[in-house]
Amino acid sequence: MASYKVSYVVIGMDHPGGIVNLDHKPFVGEQVRLSDLTFEVLEVLEIMPARGGFHYYHATCHPIPTDISSDGTDQKSS
Amino acid sequence: MDLKDFLRKVELFDGLTEAELEKVAAICQQRRFHRGDILTKQGTPGEELFIVTKGFVEVFLEAPQRVVVNLGAGQIVGEMALVDQGLSSATVRAVEEPTLTQVIRFEQLERLFQQDASIGFKIIRNIAADLSFKLRHRNLSER
Repeated sequence: MASYKVSYVVIGMDHPGGIVNLDHKPFVGEQVRLSDLTFEVLEVLEIMPARGGFHYYHATCHPIPTDISSDGTDQKSS
Repeated sequence: MDLKDFLRKVELFDGLTEAELEKVAAICQQRRFHRGDILTKQGTPGEELFIVTKGFVEVFLEAPQRVVVNLGAGQIVGEMALVDQGLSSATVRAVEEPTLTQVIRFEQLERLFQQDASIGFKIIRNIAADLSFKLRHRNLSER
């Protein structure tokens, strides 16, 4: 089964992005959570040729606005 | 998920046979971290390799203070100190509750490399690929 190693770079805010393994290819419009925030993928590129069962992708994403509820948890804005 | 099934999805162990994965699994220990717990401290000797199985860790530089990347499931921490025997290059702390890892002590991994050069070759090659990927991520982040 293939694994997808994804480098997420965030635009629109000062955030270091992240690297995560997925079991599917990342796609535009996908929502991803990097530590404490949720982002929407804007662009996906393959950055290295696949090797073994691994595929290597770069995704650009931007933050999804959230509100803080009374219990302190993030709530996506509608 | 069975430990071997998880390790098979970690790039660090790409190319290992079932028998080789068994040997690696035998020296892994699960360790659980709470949000804010430190896995490695910048400037201290590294002794362990961490593989994130659940949650996130952030890689944090002390001076000037900044987070350089968040690492999620399947990512490794401590590989630079394993390769160059130097002090830990960054502080790494858990940022999700809980964050689960598999931990391998350097001395056990090096002993395994000495016993089985095939495992050593594959893992060191995969560490080189991981460092390359992290460098590409950093280059893309700074565009």
